[in-house]
Order: sequence, then structure tokens, then C-alpha cells
Amino acid sequence: MKCTECSYEAGVSSFRYLYNARIDASMTLRQCPQCQAWLAVDELAGEARQRVTDGDAPWGKSAGIEGLARDVAR
Amino acid sequence: MSTCAECKSFFVREEEPGQGDCVRRVVDPRQAYYQSKPVREDSSSSGCESFQKK
Amino acid sequence: MVAEPARDGSVQELENKQEWWWVAEKKRSKRLDYLRKAVWKKGALGGNYAPGIKLDLECATLFTDMWNFWKYDPIMMRRAKAIAHVLDNKTIFITDHAQLVGYFGSLPHTIMWRVDGASMVNEEAYNEPGIMPEPEQESLEKVAKLNDYWAGQTAVDKVARILDPEDAVKFLSGAIGWGAPSSAYGYSGKDYEYLFAGKRGFEDIIEDIEAAIEKAEEKTVGVPGPEILDIYDRLQNWDAMILVLEAAMRHAKRYARLARTMAENFETDDKRKEELLRLARTCEQVPAKSPRNLQESFQYDHFVQMFARVEAHEGAWPARPDYYHGPYYDKDVNIDKTLTKEEALDLVGEFMIRAYEVGGFAPRWAREGLQGITGTWVWTLGGVNKDGTDACNDLTIAFLQAARLVRVSNPTFGFRWHPKVKDEVMRECFECIRHGLGYPSMRNDPLLVQNAMHWHGHPLEEARTWVHQACMSPCPTTKNGVQPMRMASATANCAKMVEYALHNGYDHVVGMQMGPQTGEASSFTDFEQLFQAWTTQMQWLTNLLVRTVNLGRYKDPEFFGRPFLSGISQRSVESGLDVVSPVGDRGNCWITAFTWVENIDSLAAVKKLVFDEKKYTMEQLITALKANWDGYEQMRLDFVNNAPKWGNDDDYVDDIMIRCLQATARHSHVMKCPSGNNWPILPENVSGNIHYASIVGALPNGRRCGDALYDGGISPGPGLDKKGPTAVLASCGKIDHIADGRAFLLNQRLSPTQLAGEKGYQLWKAYIRTWADLGLDHVQFNMVSDETLRAAQKDPEKYSEVIVRVAGYSAHFVDISRKTQDNIIQRTVQGI
Ligand code: SF4
Ligand SMILES: [Zn+2]
Repeated sequence: MKCTECSYEAGVSSFRYLYNARIDASMTLRQCPQCQAWLAVDELAGEARQRVTDGDAPWGKSAGIEGLARDVAR
Repeated sequence: MSTCAECKSFFVREEEPGQGDCVRRVVDPRQAYYQSKPVREDSSSSGCESFQKK
Repeated sequence: MVAEPARDGSVQELENKQEWWWVAEKKRSKRLDYLRKAVWKKGALGGNYAPGIKLDLECATLFTDMWNFWKYDPIMMRRAKAIAHVLDNKTIFITDHAQLVGYFGSLPHTIMWRVDGASMVNEEAYNEPGIMPEPEQESLEKVAKLNDYWAGQTAVDKVARILDPEDAVKFLSGAIGWGAPSSAYGYSGKDYEYLFAGKRGFEDIIEDIEAAIEKAEEKTVGVPGPEILDIYDRLQNWDAMILVLEAAMRHAKRYARLARTMAENFETDDKRKEELLRLARTCEQVPAKSPRNLQESFQYDHFVQMFARVEAHEGAWPARPDYYHGPYYDKDVNIDKTLTKEEALDLVGEFMIRAYEVGGFAPRWAREGLQGITGTWVWTLGGVNKDGTDACNDLTIAFLQAARLVRVSNPTFGFRWHPKVKDEVMRECFECIRHGLGYPSMRNDPLLVQNAMHWHGHPLEEARTWVHQACMSPCPTTKNGVQPMRMASATANCAKMVEYALHNGYDHVVGMQMGPQTGEASSFTDFEQLFQAWTTQMQWLTNLLVRTVNLGRYKDPEFFGRPFLSGISQRSVESGLDVVSPVGDRGNCWITAFTWVENIDSLAAVKKLVFDEKKYTMEQLITALKANWDGYEQMRLDFVNNAPKWGNDDDYVDDIMIRCLQATARHSHVMKCPSGNNWPILPENVSGNIHYASIVGALPNGRRCGDALYDGGISPGPGLDKKGPTAVLASCGKIDHIADGRAFLLNQRLSPTQLAGEKGYQLWKAYIRTWADLGLDHVQFNMVSDETLRAAQKDPEKYSEVIVRVAGYSAHFVDISRKTQDNIIQRTVQGI
């Protein structure tokens, strides 16, 4: 997986797992070990989608990027 | 040496001679209030930043 | 899209937009508005104290000085003298416009520090950034000195030394439960029947004590024998009670004196002068004598609560204000007409504000577990009289109305619903919920009265006096029913039961063998083996916590001592024993069961996908769990989406819920408290679901270590209750809410749009009827839209007054951590 911010590349599990506020979506929050950025990660695809900044969260219902998780389209 | 008894903030307790209350107004960022703390009338007021002569 | 908060609009416009926090600001009196905004909020914001909040060093120092001075006194007397010294010498204050007074700290912005509670907490106080009063260096030195003095001498240090070493290590790992086995950090019920129903002031109590002493002394000069030997200890306890009650009366007189000084020397406004003189008369009357009017009754109650908090860190606030103060409201407003309805409402609002501003220093785990507040001040309203008739009165309504004006997150209300509650009262409850307060929670009174009789054998009349001992658990306010100490360490992180059943008792998060070895789960061949392992882990975990707490309770009179609480409790006044002693206490213990439903969804998923459908092997599952589901995303989604989940009226998983509860209930009758009574469980979470997120490992319900746990009680997992509110109620209705546990928390989110207007009220009322018919004991509602919550996340400043129901308590939305906010937003909004 590649960090969208600093392009650091490693296996998904090298990115520290933070949390997944929606249990039935495959979108999680992980932290890049190199630049420390918080990333929205598609766990099924093993891809970092975008950086999550303060006040944002990557899953369906929180402020920021509502509806990014494709499996909880509502 | 000046004492609390000479201070504007000092209020003697009638029922307890020698004993009094130091009553001061405080305005903090949220509220204004009067605070009270026991003091003796013969306590030294030197070193007290809030001392105000009666 | 949510419009900008339009605080400039008219009340009508704001109401139409459901911007209740600005409505409140416009509707309340200037006085109430001043007092509400004057409060220094002590609740930690997502775990951190707000700027300007400082540790109270004055009380800690006064207490320690006198404690040290009287080193040769017995513990109860020593504490009484130390408390008296604090009450006689601490700084007191009267806020502008206040008509009720009393704060346990020295200044409005200080948090009380229970310096004699636990060394661990003291160390945290020293290291907590930003809370040292200026000059910081000087304060740090003072704190260090106090910490040195108390190291090894605090109540919890003393308990820790005598615990079984293995129990102690496991308990202190923080993995399986939390709390402190000491009344230093408990929550005490107040013997309201003795104080308020019995119309006793402290002078009356002292007379009662003196009569008891006289009787006892006749024995000490009488015939020698073993039965007179412990009277000598009791005599010293009685003396300690008198000493501290006298100090409490002197303390109130200090307020009276201050109010008079203000009126006579500083105040120029005639109206305020008169208020101050009335305040002075109030504090001359109570607590020395019993109250004569509503203001005195409130003031008496508030003083009692403050004194108890000078004595111990109280994490809750068991109270029933409409019931005990109601007669004074009636007298002042309806009979004597000395107070207008508006004046009374204002006073009620202020009474709530006085509680809102109370806060003591708490360690980080407690702040994380109770985000945004300083304790669970759940006040009980409604219910029935001792004879079973409706107890709701005009003051019940006033409290529900005042809550909407002051909009505090603490205290909140639990409403004892029963079929005889009048429609006008129900409407007031609904208005609070509709205004997004998240309270009152609705409690099923007939059922809970029966539950109290079933589990603890409280007689009917006593059971009917029940108050919320903390967020959820009922407890009577009577001589033998009142609970002097909440053993908060019997708070179980229940998700560990299934986790240990799957890992042979080993905890991969803390890296130690915790539970018994119940076998390698990878070799289990049927569900029964797993269930057996689960049962063994459940028994082990609850046993350990209860052992710890029982010991803490038993030793508390020796290690801590409660002269004030004893002095206001009839059974101690009569017996001369510390009220924490189990003697004369009927027993009302419960285990707070955090993170309970994870067990059910996990067991159901394993049963279905491994043992029934054989889609995966146990070995595959254990491997995936040990990897925290990393690399097993498809499989994880299978466990989430293709296994039945609690809350959808699906017997497959609901039966597992009942089995788990019944197994636990059987064990609850086996474990006994120091009074010999039972230990039922009570599923609820406060915000422990966030605190434990990184402590509970991956589970078969699809959670990873790090994810927030479910929001608790018997609430379905957020977003997993896909069949609507009736299915949620139907699942919960399968639980026997009397025999299966002490109480069961249910969170529901409702749509503010759907519940607008009269139609909304009728829908909600019908919902409550169904809820009651199905025999549920609790439900609480969040009625704030996703849009508002999202807008508050984006722009917290503008939405700083939005309140949400977190678990057994409410908090301002902006005060809770991002993770907790997200967890609330994820809960399904149910259309009813
Ligand atoms: S302590 Fe200071 S302010 Fe108070 S009475 Fe004494 S001298 Fe005056
Ligand atoms: Zn990076």
C-alpha cells in the first residue's frame, strides 16, 4: 500500500491501525509510519484512498467525507 | 506592623472575638463573586498583596 | 444541510428550526442565564481538562495538615477532625445573583482533589498538564510534598496490600474491569427517608446520637460481658459523627455571615440585598434545622451533597428531588403563594446549575470512560409513593421544564414511568427528549420495583422509594436499603469473556494469562464446548471482581471511614457503626456489565459460520483474530454481514443472549456481597466502549482491536440493527427483565423530523406503551439529527451547546472525543 501523502510503500499492516467506526464497512483509518498522516484505507483493495485531516473521518456518516465508504452507500 | 484588623476586607465576627473574615470581591473570566476566608484580627498583613487600609 | 445557528432569530423561528440551545438562552431569565454561563465546566473534553480549570490545593492541604496532626486518633475521628478543619477554613464564595450556595472546592474554577484516595491518582494529578494553580512551580512542589506524605497511606494503597497478589495484578492490568475498591471513590446513597421524610436537621440528628450514646453508656457501666466490648468503638464513632455535623453547621453559618456582610456593606441594589438576607436566613436554618420552604429544602440537600463530597470522591448523585422537595414547592407556590411559578422554576434551574458545576479530579481512565462530565449525576423523577399511588407532582414538571432552560449535561434525569403517569407529565418528558437533551431516560417502574424485590429482597414499600444509585441501578433511600458505597470496581469488561474463551484464557493485548485455561479453541468441535469455555471465563471474571470489591467494602471502615455519611444515616446513628459496615445493610450490589453484546454477536457468528455452516474452521478463525483480521477482510465482512446480529428479532442470536444472561444470573445467586445478598449483572457502558477500544482484541463479531465497542447495555451494535425499532424492542423483550439481571440499558436514536409536532408526541407515546408492554426496564433517546451532529463536528464552536446521550449519561457533543462522536453518529436512526 502506498501513502497518498509521502508515497511510502509497505504492506497494509505496517500502517498502524487506528479504528473503524463502522463495523460493516471495509473502510478503516490507519497511520503512515513515515509521515504520520492519517489515511482512509480500503481494506478490501488494500489501498489508501486519501488523507484524513482533523475533523474528518472516512466512513459513511461522519463530517468530512460522507459516503466515501462504497459499501455503506446510503 | 499592620494587621488584618486594619484592612478594608476585614470583618470581625461578633460572636468570636479576635476572629474575623477576610471578604473580597473577585472577578474571574466567567463570573464575579465575593469570597470569604477566616483570618484573625491580629494576623500580620505584611506580605498580603490585597491589603487596603481601612 | 443545516442552516447556521440563527441565534438572532425570534423564539418561534428558532423553535421551528429546532435550535433548542438558542431557544433556551432566549427563554430563561437574565439571572438564570448569568448563572448558567458563570459555570466553570469541570468535565474533561475528550479526556483533557478545559483551560483555566485548576487543582484544588487548599482543601487537600488543610485536610492533610489536620490528618497529620491527629495521628493517634481512631480513623473515623481522625477523618472527622480533618474534614472539620477543611470546613472551618476553606475559602467559600457567593456568586453574583446566586440564591443557593455551596461548592466543595475553594473557588469556582477548582477541581477537588481526593488526596487520601489512591497514590496512583495522586501521581496522575502531579503529571496532569495545565491544572496546577499559578505559580506552577510552587504548586508542583506542594503537590509533590502531599504525594510523598500520602504514598502508601491512601485507602486504595491499603486495600491493594491485602489483596491476593494474583488478583491484584490481574485487576490492576486494567483489562477486565475498572474502579477502586474503596468508598474513597464510591458513590453513596443518602438516607433521604431519615433526613427529608423524617424532617430532621443536624441538630435533631445530634439529639438522636446523644440518646444512643446515653443508652450505650448505661451498658458500659453495667454488667461486664463480651457484648459491651465493641461499644467503646461505637462511642468514638458517635463522637466523630457529632463533631463533623457540628462543623457542617458552622460551615453553613459562614455562608450566612458572608451573605449578611455582602448585603450590609457592599450591595446597593435593594432587591439583591433582600435576596442576600434571605440567603443568610436560609443558611442559618439549614442544615442545623429542617427546612421551612423550597429554597431551604434545596439548600439543605445541596449542603448534604457537598459535605459528602468533602469526605469522599462521589462519582454519582443518587437523588429524587421532586419527591423530597415537592411538598415545599406545593406549600410555597400553591398554598402560601410566597413564590411565583416563575420564581420557583428559576430556583429549580439554579439547583441544577449548582450540581452541574461540581467536579473532582479524576484519573485519565475515568475521564475517558465518562467523557464530558465529572460523574453520573442521574436524578430520579416520577415514580410512585410508598402506597403505590402516582408520585408525580408540580415539582416534577418544574424540573423537566427547568432542564430545557438550563440545558446542562449533568445532572440528567431518569424518569420512573408507570401506567398512572398523567399525560401532562409525559408531554414534559417528551419535550426534553425532543429538545435533544437525551434525558430523561425512561424507566419501567412497576418492573424495577419487582426486580428490586427479586434480587435483593427489598420489601415493597422500600423498593418503591428507589433512586438511580448511579446511571442505572435502582436503590432504596431507606435505613436498611440505602447503599453507602458503590463498589465501582465490580465493573466488568465483559467482551473479555468471549475473548478468553477463544484464546484459552490468554490475553494477547496485555500479554499475560488472565483467565483459566479452558482449552485451545482451535480444537473445539462443537458450539457447546465454546459455550462451556465462555461460562467458565464469565464465572472467573465476575468472581475476581466481586472478591476484590467485597474485601474493599469489608475493610473500608478500617481503611477509610465515613463520619459524615454515617452521621446522616439512620442505621449508623442508631448503631454507632460506620455506615459502610455491612451490618444493617440489606445489600444492593450489582456488576456493571460493560461491552456485553459483543459476547452474543461473537458467539452467534462462530456458531453459524464455523459449527453450523462449516464455512470456516476454528483454526482459521483463531488465526484471523490473532492477526487482528489483517489480510482477512473478506472473511471479516462475512462474520459481520452473514451472521445474525442481536437486535433484529432473530431467535438464532436472541436465544444465545438469553442463554448467556441466564448462565450469568445463576452465578449471580452464587456470588454474595458482604451482607450475604446477590450480585446481579447490569449491562451498560458509560463511554467504556471507547476506553476499552484498544484493550479488547479482535472478535468474531468483526471488530478489530482499536475499534469502538458497541455503545452498550443491550443496545444492538451501531448500524447492525437493520430491521427497525420494533425488531429491536422484540429482541429486547425476550429478556426477562426481572430474573435475568438488575437492569438493561437500551439506546435508541429517533428522527427529530419524524417526531415533530403533536403527531410526533403521539408516535413516541405509542412507542413507550409498546416498550412497557414488552417488559423492558430502560430506554433512552438521542433525538439530534445526523446533519446537526456532522455540522457540530465541522464547526464545534457554533454548536457548543448541542447535548447527546452517550450511555447512562448525557454530554455536550463537542466535549467527547472524535471516536465517541463517530460512534454516536453510527447508531441507526430509527423511524417509529
Ligand atoms: S488577609 Fe490580606 S486582604 Fe484579607 S484581611 Fe488580611 S490583610 Fe486584608
Ligand atoms: Zn506517509
